[in-house]
Amino acid sequence: MISLYEVIDRVMTGRYCSESEFDMEILVPRIRELVSKYKIKYDPDNPIPSDDGLADRVFQAGFELFRDVGVYCPDTERILRFSEEELCEALAQAPSAPVFGEGKDAKALVARKPESTARPWCFIGAGGAAVSNEELFASIVEAYAGFMPLADSITAPSIVSINGRTVRTGSPLEVLASIRAVVLGREALRRGGRPGLPIMNSIANAGTDTAKIAGTQFGLRPSDGWPVGHTAELKLEYQRFNEIAFLTTFGGHICAETAPILGGYCGGPEGTAVTNVAYHLSGIITMRASLHLTFPTHFNYGCTTTRDVTWAVSVSNQAISRNSHFPLLVISYAAAGPMTEMVYYEIASAITTTVVSGGSIEFGGVAKATHVDHFTPMEPRLASEVAHRVVGMTRKEANGIVKKLLERYEGNLASPPLGKKYAECWDVARRVPGKEYVDFDRKMRKELSNLGIPL
Amino acid sequence: MVTARVFEELKEAILELDEEKVQKVANDLVAQGIDPVEGIEKGLSQGMTIIGDKFNRGEVYLPELIRASNTFNAAMKILEPEILKRGEERTRRGTVILGTVKGDIHKIGKDILAMLMKTRGFEVYNLGEDVSMSTFLKQAAEHSADIIGMSSLLTTTMPGQKEVIELLKETGVRDRYIVMVGGGPVSAEWAKEIGADGYAETAEEAVSLADELMSGKR
Repeated sequence: MISLYEVIDRVMTGRYCSESEFDMEILVPRIRELVSKYKIKYDPDNPIPSDDGLADRVFQAGFELFRDVGVYCPDTERILRFSEEELCEALAQAPSAPVFGEGKDAKALVARKPESTARPWCFIGAGGAAVSNEELFASIVEAYAGFMPLADSITAPSIVSINGRTVRTGSPLEVLASIRAVVLGREALRRGGRPGLPIMNSIANAGTDTAKIAGTQFGLRPSDGWPVGHTAELKLEYQRFNEIAFLTTFGGHICAETAPILGGYCGGPEGTAVTNVAYHLSGIITMRASLHLTFPTHFNYGCTTTRDVTWAVSVSNQAISRNSHFPLLVISYAAAGPMTEMVYYEIASAITTTVVSGGSIEFGGVAKATHVDHFTPMEPRLASEVAHRVVGMTRKEANGIVKKLLERYEGNLASPPLGKKYAECWDVARRVPGKEYVDFDRKMRKELSNLGIPL
Repeated sequence: MVTARVFEELKEAILELDEEKVQKVANDLVAQGIDPVEGIEKGLSQGMTIIGDKFNRGEVYLPELIRASNTFNAAMKILEPEILKRGEERTRRGTVILGTVKGDIHKIGKDILAMLMKTRGFEVYNLGEDVSMSTFLKQAAEHSADIIGMSSLLTTTMPGQKEVIELLKETGVRDRYIVMVGGGPVSAEWAKEIGADGYAETAEEAVSLADELMSGKR
């Protein structure tokens, strides 16, 4: 694979163009040409298609998209491109089983295939959602260690305030909050009895390269994970390249984070699926990552559980996992909040889709991961159990189940119930769920079992 | 009859996203002495409304909104001088300054809103991302804005919306503008807490809210 220095050279010397030219004259037309050339067509009646030919065409389209379009750097206003030979070499040399965690929690994250009987990696927790203060942060992360036995790694929340002050990205408080989150998170996992469990979203608080690098000095290990995010679509700023430069030298696992927006420059579900494949290649060669972490998101609903996003996730997941050994994790963001019927349906639908289509999971946020304190360890635990239960299920069977689940919630996506806050349905001090939530969970598991997911 | 046909062709040019056609029809309109304000209201704006509705139904996407906006602007370059010459005024629903706050580089949601507002007849100045407090204020004053719209997609950049409102108060110009806030983690409660005039969860709701708030201002 070409060196990081070569990548940086191209960021500085690639073809100059304005951002709007890249968006409208280069990216958008090429996506549409490739969707048409490869006859890729969204089928709302089959959110999980069982068509290997379609999956392979989507992969080829995504490969050509990345080869022809590349990545745009807004800081240099230049396009970084790679040749077909360089991309084939990168695919062949991409990591296939990176090891995360320490001690007895150390484990290889192995890429899967559609309908695989291999268990998915369960990267679960808050999905970076916001928690109001340090005490709740510590309580939740400790509960993750104790309450989520199927967790292979955790995703910690983002702290809204420290020392009574509101955290502001780009300010010194962001740096201090990032350091605090690492110190508290590591200690909480130790208290919860799983000190080696990898924190795979590094520091949810760190929006800038400075904060991410600063936080890393206070307890994160190379065996943890660092999401480094593309900006939609197919853009990388200097700040992200700074993070990549630091992490490759530090030896940390970069998680190539991508969120193609359905309704944005990608267009519809077809273009979103193709763009997701292009991002996969960028994760390997541009970002030097250990895995691809993606969450195609609906432009209007701000979640990943709509029918069209489900199709895009399934098809791109199948495309990638059939044609690449570079691990893929799909992040799911549910629209509804804790202790609602809708969130159970959304979780079951999203996780089933990802796992049978060949991916592993990150779960992720509920209440769109945008409402402070609206998440608990119950939802990620459910996600991990669904992920293990649907292993080996055929895409056809899963398609039938997901259609039933979608029918139960998609009418409510415009106004999803927010549900309860952590402290309203959880015993914060004892780190266990309240009785009301335990009873609700039991009822909903029974219903999901009746729908075809044995829990 | 001829006039109605010209209006229809302006509408069609918007729907076909055809800049060349819209320029030709706009030139024909001027040559025939047809009222350019009527051309905007009965032709271009109707096309823009249809495109906006199609976007909300998921039938077209952001690129179509951008192209429709470019087509509209191409016609306006021809029609606006004619309007000035005639001493007329075109109806605008309001002038909007829009940007993502300092420290936040999220773009697409805000861009969708900018385009959707244009389809509904607002004059929109999209300041981009990572916009400083002073830029919001300077641009609002320069364009005599009715509305300042601020987007934030991170919990930790939301305070940027509050900082702009506080600066508006400090500089004594808060009452000049309607302030709207939005973005993933933003809520109606947050909007109320920081003293914004309105919050909307989706782009379509934001356009309706802007209309409603402008009715109050007029």
